[in-house]
Amino acid sequence: MGAGRIAGAEGIQAISFSVAPRRGAVSIIEIVVLASCIVAAVVVSNRYAVDIMIRTFLWAGLALAWNIAGGYAGLISFGHAAFFGIGAYTSTILLLKYGVPPWFGMLAGALIAGCAGALLTKVCARLRGPFFILSTLAAGEVVRIAALNWRTLTGGSEGLEIPPVPSVVDMVFKSQWPYVTIMVAYMLAMFALSAWIEQTRYGYYLFATRDDEDGASAIGINPSHTRIAAMAVSAGTTAIGGTLFAQYFLYLDPTHVISPDISFQFALICAVGGLGTASGPVFGALIIVPLSELLRGLLSQSTSGLHLVIYGIIVIIVILYFPSGVSGAISRAASKLSLAAGFAARVQAKKM
Amino acid sequence: MLKLDAVGRQFGSLWAVRDVSFIVEPSEIVGIIGPNGAGKSTLFNLIAGAVVPTAGMIRFLDRTIDYGKPYQVARRGLARTFQIPKPFKQLTVRENVMLSALRRHHTPRQANAVAMATMEFIRIIELAEASVASLTVGQLKKLELARALATEPVLLLLDEVMAGLTPPEIKEMMTVIGALPKRGITVVWVEHVMMAIMNVAERIVVMHQGQIIAQGTPADVSKNPTVIGAYLGEKYAYAAR
Repeated sequence: MGAGRIAGAEGIQAISFSVAPRRGAVSIIEIVVLASCIVAAVVVSNRYAVDIMIRTFLWAGLALAWNIAGGYAGLISFGHAAFFGIGAYTSTILLLKYGVPPWFGMLAGALIAGCAGALLTKVCARLRGPFFILSTLAAGEVVRIAALNWRTLTGGSEGLEIPPVPSVVDMVFKSQWPYVTIMVAYMLAMFALSAWIEQTRYGYYLFATRDDEDGASAIGINPSHTRIAAMAVSAGTTAIGGTLFAQYFLYLDPTHVISPDISFQFALICAVGGLGTASGPVFGALIIVPLSELLRGLLSQSTSGLHLVIYGIIVIIVILYFPSGVSGAISRAASKLSLAAGFAARVQAKKM
Repeated sequence: MLKLDAVGRQFGSLWAVRDVSFIVEPSEIVGIIGPNGAGKSTLFNLIAGAVVPTAGMIRFLDRTIDYGKPYQVARRGLARTFQIPKPFKQLTVRENVMLSALRRHHTPRQANAVAMATMEFIRIIELAEASVASLTVGQLKKLELARALATEPVLLLLDEVMAGLTPPEIKEMMTVIGALPKRGITVVWVEHVMMAIMNVAERIVVMHQGQIIAQGTPADVSKNPTVIGAYLGEKYAYAAR
């Protein structure tokens, strides 16, 4: 097994850089965007703005988690709210009933959600495309209804409340900055995980299984294992975001936490930002979350529902004109620029 | 290398493949010909493990194959191309070939070296960074072959790799296939382009209505009256003379 060990040692590769987002490389644009997120988190002190930032970073992390299944493995899921809810409820129930700190409860939630994700994918192994999507939607609803009716555990529709008593151990804070820090860390960790997946063979196995299942098995990839692993990781990391959500809002009820709206939001952010890329979900969240919050803040008093109409129109425009998302648009623009730059250089050379 | 023993597969009441037995020796190029619907593709799917046989046994490298688990069969050193190419559409040509090498060479960088060498051999190296969507039929067929070869197989199943190619492309492809045994690769090849298969294959298996009707060297087979009647036609018999 000498060859295997050598392969493992060479597994740590030099990181390659590029200007625009590209698969298998860390791009300057991504670094700039992520760095400005961190700077903004440190500099901005306006309470409302910080609240929007906290939500944005949390959603970016969650969308990155969704993207592992939906983008990389092609397992479009409209049931991720279930994993989100499992994460939020597991850590909260452990905290309220057994006094387990959410720092550990988070891991328990991730484990349970990961198993649930694996099980769902195993059960739906034969379903493809729209049929798989519908089954995830149904699975999400099953979890929501179960949470609504299992009152002794979840408090039913009355929900669960985490006492707002600041404590580092209980992950409850008075000021906003610890939350910003946690959310930024979650987003960065999810970004790093995504970028790592893209550069490893497991990532390529996901792409292969997504693009052509028969082709993938003909070169020795077990498609069903690949799918199950992708969904388990995606579900587990989504659950961690669920715990963070619970610790920030300190209140949970099934109607809001396990709603299909949440699942759609994950998919929407990825679609707008660019599916199957590490930068897409971040760009998507940076656009969608502040946009919806600002529109709600500005317009909700004048005409009820108007902010949703405008939000919907903007989303449709983005999807129509940027089919590969903002990330794809940036990549294309950058390659056009470099082509133009090359052309200009050649013209210059001829003149000389 | 490969041994089929009375293999059969039934779809409903129809036997797509029935009572097929043959042996493939190492470093051989065996051609399979026959009219449409003769069961060639089903036979291929049976050998590759994609279809489970209803009867009989398939042994590859002295072990019964894992029926219904094509990825297990592939891991043991059997590669195949598909009649309709099945590339990974969102990846580049290089990434497509590199993916095939990833099972043996664990990091993308190591696999990349294999991919480069394979693309050089198949002469698609200049397409390395092209997207799959921009390829012609001929280029897709070459990519399909490169993907199969990059798994570094001992046995290669080719499913109509010549279909849709231009005459110069066919010539090029014949040279490539003819060179495979020297690289230690045994070939089982289904083909309709008679000029190609009759010139490159050392042995021909003729199928008709799910069964083998003749086996032998290309010269023997092309003179066989049963084969001429079932598939080649009188004209071919005349031309072969």
